[in-house]
Amino acid sequence: MTTTDRPAAPPVRTHKQDRTWVGKSIRRVEDPKFLRGRGGYIGDMTVTGMLYAAVLRSPHAHARITGIDIAEALASPGVHDVITGARAAELCDPLPDFGPDPTKHTWRCLAVDKVRYVGEGVAVVVAESRYLAEDALALIDVEYEPLPALVDPERALADSATLVHDALGSNCAYERTFDFGDVEKDFAEADVIVTDRLRWRRSGGQPLETVGAVADFDHATGRLTVHTNSLSFTSYLFMVAGTMKIAANKLDVRPVPAGGSFGSKLFATKPAVIAGMCSREVGRPVQYLEDRVDNISNCDHHGSDRVYDVRLALMRDGTLRGIDIDTIEDYGAYIQFGVGHHGNALAQVVGPYAMTSVRYRVRAALTNKNQQGAYRGFGSEVNNWMLEQIVDKAARELGVDPVDIRRRNFIREFPHFIPTGNVYDSGDYDGVLDKALELSNYKHWRAEQAKAREEGRCIGIGLITAQERSVFSATEFWFWFDEPAAPVTSMPESVTLKVDATGAITATLYSCAFWGNSPETMVAQLVAEEFDCDPHDVSIVYQGSGNGLPATGPGGSRTTVMLAGAVEGATAKIKAKALRAAAHLLEADPDDLEWADGGFQVKGVPEQRKTLAEIAVMLHLFKHSFPDDMESGLEDSTVFDHPYTTMPSADRKDLGVFYPFMGHACHVPVVEVDVETGAVSFLAYAAVHDCGTLVNPRSLAGHIVGGTAQGIGTALFEEFVYDEEDGQLLTSSYLDYLIPTAMEVPELAIGHHETPSPYTLHGIKGGGEGGRMMAPAAINVAVNDALAHLGVRVTELPITPDRLRAAIRAAGAAREAR
Amino acid sequence: MKPPPFEYAAPTSVAEALELLAVHAQGEARVLAGGQSLVPLMNFRLAQPGHLVDLRRIEELTRIRAEGDTLVLGAMVRQSHAEHAPEVALLAPLLAEALGYVAHPPIRNSGTVGGSLAHADPAAELPAVALALGAELVVAGPQGTRTVPAADFFVGAFSTALEPGEILTEVRIPRRGGGHAFVEFTRTHGTFAIVGVASVIEVDGGGVTRASIALSGVDAVPVRAAAAERTLTGTVPDDATVRAAVDATVAELSPSADVHGSTETRIDIARATLRRGIELALTRAQDRR
Amino acid sequence: MDKYDVTLTVNGRTSTVSVEARKLLVDVLREDLGLPGTHIGCEHGVCGTCTVLRDGASIRSCTTFAVQVDGSEIRTVEGLADGATLHPLQDEFWDKQGLQCGYCTPGMLMRACEIIEQNPDVTPEQVREGIASNLCRCTGYQFIAEAVCSAAARMKADADAPRGARA
Repeated sequence: MTTTDRPAAPPVRTHKQDRTWVGKSIRRVEDPKFLRGRGGYIGDMTVTGMLYAAVLRSPHAHARITGIDIAEALASPGVHDVITGARAAELCDPLPDFGPDPTKHTWRCLAVDKVRYVGEGVAVVVAESRYLAEDALALIDVEYEPLPALVDPERALADSATLVHDALGSNCAYERTFDFGDVEKDFAEADVIVTDRLRWRRSGGQPLETVGAVADFDHATGRLTVHTNSLSFTSYLFMVAGTMKIAANKLDVRPVPAGGSFGSKLFATKPAVIAGMCSREVGRPVQYLEDRVDNISNCDHHGSDRVYDVRLALMRDGTLRGIDIDTIEDYGAYIQFGVGHHGNALAQVVGPYAMTSVRYRVRAALTNKNQQGAYRGFGSEVNNWMLEQIVDKAARELGVDPVDIRRRNFIREFPHFIPTGNVYDSGDYDGVLDKALELSNYKHWRAEQAKAREEGRCIGIGLITAQERSVFSATEFWFWFDEPAAPVTSMPESVTLKVDATGAITATLYSCAFWGNSPETMVAQLVAEEFDCDPHDVSIVYQGSGNGLPATGPGGSRTTVMLAGAVEGATAKIKAKALRAAAHLLEADPDDLEWADGGFQVKGVPEQRKTLAEIAVMLHLFKHSFPDDMESGLEDSTVFDHPYTTMPSADRKDLGVFYPFMGHACHVPVVEVDVETGAVSFLAYAAVHDCGTLVNPRSLAGHIVGGTAQGIGTALFEEFVYDEEDGQLLTSSYLDYLIPTAMEVPELAIGHHETPSPYTLHGIKGGGEGGRMMAPAAINVAVNDALAHLGVRVTELPITPDRLRAAIRAAGAAREAR
Repeated sequence: MKPPPFEYAAPTSVAEALELLAVHAQGEARVLAGGQSLVPLMNFRLAQPGHLVDLRRIEELTRIRAEGDTLVLGAMVRQSHAEHAPEVALLAPLLAEALGYVAHPPIRNSGTVGGSLAHADPAAELPAVALALGAELVVAGPQGTRTVPAADFFVGAFSTALEPGEILTEVRIPRRGGGHAFVEFTRTHGTFAIVGVASVIEVDGGGVTRASIALSGVDAVPVRAAAAERTLTGTVPDDATVRAAVDATVAELSPSADVHGSTETRIDIARATLRRGIELALTRAQDRR
Repeated sequence: MDKYDVTLTVNGRTSTVSVEARKLLVDVLREDLGLPGTHIGCEHGVCGTCTVLRDGASIRSCTTFAVQVDGSEIRTVEGLADGATLHPLQDEFWDKQGLQCGYCTPGMLMRACEIIEQNPDVTPEQVREGIASNLCRCTGYQFIAEAVCSAAARMKADADAPRGARA
């Protein structure tokens, strides 16, 4: 596709200049209930007659199930039922699956004839308490015939003797190479080609609240009601209904607040299906709430687990030309979301740099691990890390300053189409970098670094510049295939606004209740901005899927932009009706009225006005004061579709626009490495983010710090370690899966930069994935900067003391050998 | 992660507790102290005692007292109580310092001194401190009371000289002069240490007259850094002496690899941590003169 | 299994419940006493989500059997606010956005309560080390630490104010 035949961009918007509420760090409207311990999480919910489910987990990484004896468990006190995987397969169809070929890597709520990872469920007990359910689990006798465990993705791809899924015939679920731009030319003309091999090991969101559901099947009506802290059920409800083998209009999924997700509660259907299946069997409401070991070992949302072989083509002056990326992703035993993680990467694959070509080969390996799902960044944070490591390596090899090589290659004209076809809507990368250099006191730390080195101390500065794509569109889930099974083009978000008879406003949201982001505060601020009211007076309610409007839910930092669009649309409809009503009441021409200060008034005659409350009471209760065609009430909805999506080309040399609202950030951690122990500590940390126009700066700062804390976990501490031999999960509790505490996370200096999007309300972009997009890249660069003089370069995350010491020992041995 | 069922009793005297343990010996009776190790194990169902004898009501076990120059801690003294007790600060500042490294304050508010010693986790702080300070552990049993030196108390990972039916009632710690230091290496704040070093070093006129150093995390039981103690004693230590002392001890170590570190890395970390512990203890010893 | 009577004074109100010895304090609070504000995070004593105060000292209610605290005074998040008036810690957490998903918040608030009650002059460094006992997955701790510091300052100012000046 050439520039000329690209579909037109949406119209460039003029943004309101004097904003009252958008841009203010107001107190969040969600918070009082949480501060009082009245959050209403799924575990807080009790229903009369409710029973409790617990799942028996596989102790083997890979084994055939040759027999299950549940007799003793069934006879255990308080037990109502025990359902094995085989029975579950009769009761329910496979779980919703967006993978490449679900019939060949079939995924069910419980394993049927074979377990494929440690922790996979093999049976579920329903009992009068969780205590009694767990007592019965201990009485289930499963016979296993162990099979060899596949743990390493490269070995899994090479191994055809051991298959995770026999039906697939190999352990490769997907393979394709894409060329964007003239890769051959860029590599042929390059002065230098830098190569790298990198390994990102798996961690996960690990919210402190696990995933759970309370299901109640009513045999009288055939209706299944499920309360759950997972989301995205509105648009994809029919898939869950299909799994449950019930009509979609008999399933109502009601959202409850989630105690954190970070991606890991994204369309987590397994707990809902298990609870629903159990409820239907026992005829009582059933709660299934994962415990911590379930959530670590059987949650379906481990994060990325990648091997990279990369080549970077550049000129001697540091000008970047093209990049050739060959990546293998270890998806674990199932592949629910396909290789969508790499769509996220392709959205911003060249980072903020004006490269002209990209080759991207992706292979999806299946292994005996918990399946991969979503974790804050959804694979794009891994691309950020890979790109910054190789750019940093190139700078070092060429002797170019790490700041200069980045600045030299910045994209400066927008909108900018990158080689994959995605667009960067706007940006000011120099502005962000300048602010970060100042905020981080960069020069000071370079001087400190030099001083420290003389004292034998190893200080490193990790400046990186990277992208934060926001607001995915549906095409990225199918452009992988020439003949996609479901080439969907819409993932909308909806809002209903209701102005009641007193003029008070209620907004109804449809996708999920809340999962730590601030949908209520954000919508309240946007509504207040439109209607000139106090955001704390706006009431926000959530609607279940049963009678909900189309909605997709959070993911890919889309909530704010999508809800803003929906609020804007619903507001316009309400104001149009209110205008007509006001004109009628004021006996004026609608064209002579203007919205001002919470009402409509005659232009230039402010005393001739009707407030929204005055209009609303009339519209609700005085039907006969209006023309016949005006209906009572003042309520309207908007289903807001993605504002900027274009279709991929047939040959997939251009993927179209699928992630257009491009945020950017510069992180500058300063670390000190204790070479004797391999410990890494922070001396300073500055982060400047540009997510377009800010709605609530303090909330965004919260995502920056919180995401950075998670990025620190990914970079230094957190890893789901599976034993290379037998596939046992060695980090199955928080004793070994180490989440950073307040002592591992430094105080951040936070800077905001605002480059509005030309295409969204107020110029907002998404920013929810925050610091986790950048921190792993920045910390790795910092550690390498600290140790470069020792000949140490770390290419594997997390940078544990063990890995760091091994690298330091190897470099020492190499030096001695010279 | 809910614990399995058990019978429970909370006697008010050691005699009563011993009797309960005897009566329920067939029912896998165990002593419950603060529960900060046992209850998590039960939640994982890795421990399934049939009967728990909770010592919390036995008042004599909750007291801290000084007997001359000996600090006497009841086994049920909460770790946070001991951490801030003036008697501990005076008679065993090494213990007070080490207690600050035991997990986190909310754990120490429940966890007990005796519980940690009897649990005998190889990575725990207090066993190493007891070993370094030459503590004596007082054990009550059906046959009466016996005293076990710390060096004989820890017999393996999570295994002690306590016989079934016996209760650890008291820890007696002789006062030591000189400089003390507890240092450890953890991956994140408050998690189990990869290596811990408990040191007390006495100096006279710059020369080391006595050094007592114990390490945790390097073996199934806490170990004395005997080679380092020998190397330091009788010298006026400089950097080279300290390095030699550290090397002598580290040469004897062979810690098991686990998910947090290979044997080599654990040795590297032990080397650095031991040196820092010795240096800190020496500095404090010299400052105190 | 036998049941045991456990008497607890929770947020000033004394109740006796009859529970199995194995029932964890957190489950007794949530299920038997109707106080779901204390949450369950890891059930092995690491994350601190279940933190409550026993006789003024913070403990993990997920690694404590209710029978172990028979006769104790327990404070939970539900006891912090005085009717419509939030406790200064709650108010400062709100103001500084010291929470996002709110799940760790009750445990964090109770731990912060203990930190300030033990040391009204607590420094920012001590606050950071103090709250390291409790994991938060959302905030990165920075605004929690800010909130605790400003609550401490407010509580100290309130305590130091002459009697008549207090609201």
